[in-house]
Amino acid sequence: MTLTATAPSRPAGTTKPRRRRSIRSYWRFYLALSPFYVIFIVFGLYPVASTILLAFQKWDGLGPRTMVGFQNFRFLAEDSTFWLALWNTVVLFVMSTVPTLVIAMALAVMLHSAVRFKGVYRIAYFIPNITSLVAAAIFFAAVFSTNFGLINSILRSLGLPTEDWLRQPWGIKIAISTMIVWQWAGYNTIIYLAGLQAIPTEQYEAAKVDGAGPFRTFFLITLPQLRPVVLFTVIMSTIGGLQTFTEPQVMVGNTGGTGQSGMTVVMYFYQQAFFANDYGYAGAIALSIFMLVLLFTAINWKLLGGRGRQ
Amino acid sequence: MELSRRTLLAGGFAAMLGSTVVGCSSSINTGSTKKNATGNIALWCWPGGLGKSVLDDTIAHFPDQHIKYSEVGGDFKQKLLTTFNGGTSIPDITGVKGEDIASLLPQADRFVDLKTIGADSILGDYLEWKVKQATTLDGKVIGIPIDIGPTALFYREDVFTAGGLPGDPAKVAEQLKTWDDFLAAGVELKKSNPKAPIVADATDLYGTIVNQGTARYIDKDNKFIGDQDHIRRAWDIAVKAVTLKVDGKVLGGSADWNAGLDQGTVPTIVGAAWVALDIKSACKTSVGKWRVAATPSGPANFGGSFLTITKNAADPAAALEVIKYMLSPDNQAKAFADAQIFPSAPAAYDKPQLKAADPFFGGQVPIEVFGPAAKAIPIAYEAPLDSALATPFTDGLKLVQAGKKTSDAAWAEAVSKAKQIGKRQGVQ
Repeated sequence: MTLTATAPSRPAGTTKPRRRRSIRSYWRFYLALSPFYVIFIVFGLYPVASTILLAFQKWDGLGPRTMVGFQNFRFLAEDSTFWLALWNTVVLFVMSTVPTLVIAMALAVMLHSAVRFKGVYRIAYFIPNITSLVAAAIFFAAVFSTNFGLINSILRSLGLPTEDWLRQPWGIKIAISTMIVWQWAGYNTIIYLAGLQAIPTEQYEAAKVDGAGPFRTFFLITLPQLRPVVLFTVIMSTIGGLQTFTEPQVMVGNTGGTGQSGMTVVMYFYQQAFFANDYGYAGAIALSIFMLVLLFTAINWKLLGGRGRQ
Repeated sequence: MELSRRTLLAGGFAAMLGSTVVGCSSSINTGSTKKNATGNIALWCWPGGLGKSVLDDTIAHFPDQHIKYSEVGGDFKQKLLTTFNGGTSIPDITGVKGEDIASLLPQADRFVDLKTIGADSILGDYLEWKVKQATTLDGKVIGIPIDIGPTALFYREDVFTAGGLPGDPAKVAEQLKTWDDFLAAGVELKKSNPKAPIVADATDLYGTIVNQGTARYIDKDNKFIGDQDHIRRAWDIAVKAVTLKVDGKVLGGSADWNAGLDQGTVPTIVGAAWVALDIKSACKTSVGKWRVAATPSGPANFGGSFLTITKNAADPAAALEVIKYMLSPDNQAKAFADAQIFPSAPAAYDKPQLKAADPFFGGQVPIEVFGPAAKAIPIAYEAPLDSALATPFTDGLKLVQAGKKTSDAAWAEAVSKAKQIGKRQGVQ
């Protein structure tokens, strides 16, 4: 009732025939656009659709598939390892994203006011992001190793107690999030820098005239102006952070290390599919990651006021 | 608002499209027995899976078969499964890794039962326990073993003698007969050299002890037996290593492990024959100081692979001839000289390539340890789900190792988790 009442009241008789004719006459344009959509359907939509289907099936990777309804999801609900992986993922996400964005912001503001060697710094900060993940993870595993690791050597030379980083539940999380921060801080710095450069200088001049200090200027002008950029980086970090896989996998192995504290949801999904040969269950886990990303994106969107407020 | 509605629409469309596409493709895929073209044999293996000279020689020896070898890197099993599901370009002969064979046995109808094409005459040439790994419960044999991984105790002779332990392999084997002896020796060694814990990693030790047994986590009737004495015994020995503080907690293959091997802080490794390559590549200064002795409490197997013939093979009999030639004792000895691929045919152990003394091991002849070990490895039934059920146990041990849980609490949790995983897949 209400739907029909509030539906847009367009003069239907005039627009409908025109629109139908125009679609047909624009076929060349649609043909030109089609490669993207064809590739998207084959490599994007089809895998997603088959994963959704798989989540309701039982399949060992080779034999026949059988429909099992919601059985996989029922297992998920009572699977303590899944909940542990979910918890680890969220903790790792918070432990890595917050420092990443804070450091990136600080670096961006510093870079923005730097006068010399701007280009050099920008490249230097961006390099971690294009370094091979596996190589970096091997390097970080070496840095955090117990007897011959860099961090423990420094602690030892300072006379501080050393830690068995990659064998302790929290040590594993710290090692993994340190690596994520190292890799993504520079990337976000560049994005923030671009945002900073778009803020009109008049606002800063006005603030200066009014006698605002650097901190007031930052919190009252820079940060509010950067809000859409911050939203973008938060959402990108959410999507990336909730899919953390390579870092823990290389550092602590497929089972996630001590207490499985490095086991993320994506790792659990990978383990179930390719080691336990339970592809249907893995499909259900993959769907849960998708839901999780949607949920977190929605939360961030609401918190940072993505729409309308700008 | 608009965002979520759009997502919903896209999702619905995707599901609709997906079900149609998948529906079609799965009906095409099931049970594809389309034969490959005759006169060609496509052979798949992973890098280093077959000796280079043996491979070249085999290809030259069968000019009529036009053997086309493909070296498939990365996740080999995954690529093989994907190809099977795709239904085209399936190799005639393919390697299967030892850790994957159990999970492929339920799909034995994708492979040729080698007994039906006359492999009976050669099966006796290979170690019985290894052939058994490629045999289904109803007696189909789908693979001929390429290699095996008999374990031994690799140890630093200099560290042992400095710590008051014997240095000679025969004496070490005699004194460290059981795991209890081994741990006692660790306590002894620790007194004079606290930096050299005798166990590299207690969780690895646990895996070795389970491999030494004749039963694992699931029995032939698909019943869960992981909560029984044979597993608990392995668990308790590993925990004992932790409580006696002779556990180095060094992750195999890590930077600490590599450096420790060379510097003497990882004085022993209980590992398969192929671990020798890892030790050799990690050590620069300790060359000649390593020795090999028998594994305490008896040998176990770790790794080793198979050659199988798929149902798509154009001429299974010809493929079997190729496998026979490639895996003959002579060629296995060559492959060992090439790339340390440890022979699965005992006749190869008498060949000169294996009888050679190894300067890395101070002139010792490693086959004198590995040969008897290979023949004495116990036969255990390995269920397809076995490795998945092992995970909670090793995870639980890691918690004990890190001092986060008591042995009993970790054990109870591991058993209940393993039961849960098993229940999901129909294990009783």
